[in-house]
Amino acid sequence: MALDFAFLLDFRWVLLKGLWTTLQFVTLALVIGLVWGFVLSLFRTSSNWVIYSLSTIYVEFFRGTPVLIQLFWIFFCLPLFLDVNLSDFTSVVIALSLYSGAITSESFRAALKSIESSQHDACIALGLPPTVRTLFVILPQAVLRAIPNLLSNVVSLFKESALVSAVGMADLMYVGQNIANNVARPVEILTAVALIYFAIGFPLTRAVSFVEARLLKVVKA
Amino acid sequence: MNYDFSWFHVERAFPTLLEGLWVTLELTLWANIIGLVLGFIVAIGMMSKIKVITWPLTLYIEFFRCTPALIQLVWFFFCVPILFNVWWSAQFMGLLALGLNLAAFNSEAYRAAIQAIPESHTDASTALGLNGLQRIFFVILPQALLLAMPVLITNGIGIFQQSALVALISVEDLMYQGRYLSSQTFRPIETLTLVALMYFAVSFPVSLTVTYLERRTKRLLAT
Amino acid sequence: MAFVEINNLIKRYGSLTIFDGFDLTMSSTDRLVLIGPSGCGKSTLLRCMMGLEDIAGGTISLGGDPYITGAERGKMTLDKTVQKEVGMVFQHYTLFPHLSVLGNLCLAPMRSRGMGKSDAQDKAMELLKRFGLGDRAKFYPSQLSGGQKQRVAIARALMLDPKLMLFDEVTSALDPELVKEVEQTMMELAEAGMPMMIVTHDMHFARNIATQVVFQERGKVIEAAAPNDLFGNPKQDRTRDFLKNVLNIEG
Repeated sequence: MALDFAFLLDFRWVLLKGLWTTLQFVTLALVIGLVWGFVLSLFRTSSNWVIYSLSTIYVEFFRGTPVLIQLFWIFFCLPLFLDVNLSDFTSVVIALSLYSGAITSESFRAALKSIESSQHDACIALGLPPTVRTLFVILPQAVLRAIPNLLSNVVSLFKESALVSAVGMADLMYVGQNIANNVARPVEILTAVALIYFAIGFPLTRAVSFVEARLLKVVKA
Repeated sequence: MNYDFSWFHVERAFPTLLEGLWVTLELTLWANIIGLVLGFIVAIGMMSKIKVITWPLTLYIEFFRCTPALIQLVWFFFCVPILFNVWWSAQFMGLLALGLNLAAFNSEAYRAAIQAIPESHTDASTALGLNGLQRIFFVILPQALLLAMPVLITNGIGIFQQSALVALISVEDLMYQGRYLSSQTFRPIETLTLVALMYFAVSFPVSLTVTYLERRTKRLLAT
Repeated sequence: MAFVEINNLIKRYGSLTIFDGFDLTMSSTDRLVLIGPSGCGKSTLLRCMMGLEDIAGGTISLGGDPYITGAERGKMTLDKTVQKEVGMVFQHYTLFPHLSVLGNLCLAPMRSRGMGKSDAQDKAMELLKRFGLGDRAKFYPSQLSGGQKQRVAIARALMLDPKLMLFDEVTSALDPELVKEVEQTMMELAEAGMPMMIVTHDMHFARNIATQVVFQERGKVIEAAAPNDLFGNPKQDRTRDFLKNVLNIEG
């Protein structure tokens, strides 16, 4: 069949608006997830077993189930539990933040664990008190080491965000599928949508590798 | 909260959900077979010095890694029949998309593992008189598999979770059945929670195994 | 009263016993070099003295002060003020990778001694210049050679004016051509009168820097003597065998 990509131009503003929606809730979920993930990673190193177990179960559960079911659960079950009406946008941000927090906490935890014990030895040999050790030696290194992982979480969340189309949120994916149905030209529209995702996902992925290579040089002294 | 829990519906729903889980597991298994085999072939291809081979492969890998799995799935479902005039079932299309997606990620895992194999092994193989294919099968593949194992399993279980997406192109997997039943019975909390637990029950033990394997590989390589 | 005194030291890792009643003394004018086969507990001894290892028995004293006392059950007692008078340099530099050379030197004096920023920096620059590293102050550890890293690590330990310096195989991770500069720095420190305990595999260097050499095997002192005596005329068979082996290997 004859393909015709020219008609896509008519839909450029609709598609861009979809992309804008995607970027909005992804950014919000990322910021909330970053804070929540850091708190969770501290919980997971807690010596209080109740805090430790609850946070571990939380993280494992969100990492061990499809994001799609998490999304449906927040969308359909949370309002029943809380007896409130949540807007689509709020529900989506809640669901993605909860997920992003779980994967972010793992990045922080891995970074904390990767710091060699000889760094602790050096701190003791220099007579650094525990608070100084944590704040000035361990924390900065943990953040530096977590950066590549945190960035690849950004890519993951960006990709997972296409799921929100399944609950009727008008993101890029949803808009694309809608147009494809209306004009009966799925090949052109869906290819274009894929390319838009690619145009953002690819540079992000490359940035991760770049930053990773640069940071490894600094951290492995 | 004033929600009446009704586990009666859940009991009735259980057999249907199990059927769905079976479809999900089938998809996961076949996608993993495609991913493990094709992923290795792609990784070997990427080692080639011929640009005509590496360029299309790079494009393939990057495309599948940098776009949402959902658009890949939907694209296969709607566009492949039109472009190539083939009319396969939704389940098969879903399987193809998931398999190709996994192969792209696995090829990266293999590649990292192959790079970690000391170069001296290539020299040793030459010294032992092994030809190129023998080297790939008897020296590189076993080591790459061993080194890449934790990542391959993690990717494999990732595809198990991603497979929930096929519900959106109406393949009757666990996710699809869960959604169908929750709207049929108006019991979303019970049904969706049960579905989530079923997914978790499969992937959690696997993720524990990965942690264990990683610790063992580290010890193996440390000596 | 000796300057350093180790009495009846007991150290175990699980069921493995490293020291079972180990004694050693050293005067404040000594530079003591520990030699012996690998796995004989030389590094462990230094780590115990630094307070990095929990010991199961015995005492370690500095200047007549027993600052570490082992306990069979529970944790040893450790006097942190005396511990801070001991400085240590490790095999793998252990510089803080996220801090510049200057940052590495100033962290401890500023954060645990309450020294002002400009005072700390002045002192750091003085030490760096003394070691010929004045132009490296703003560099990060990853931008330095191994020899430079190790000299920075020595300077970092000296920032706290230690009364005793411990050197744990500080040249073992270095390329041969970088060993000299680190050894020179240590010689300079020796000439300035710093008491040191050194673990090394470099017998030539040991002979040059030591006032006292201790040959240790399986957690026991086999022989302790001045370097010329121990290397020139070892009294014990085991010392002789060990020296014959390592000197042969070194060619």
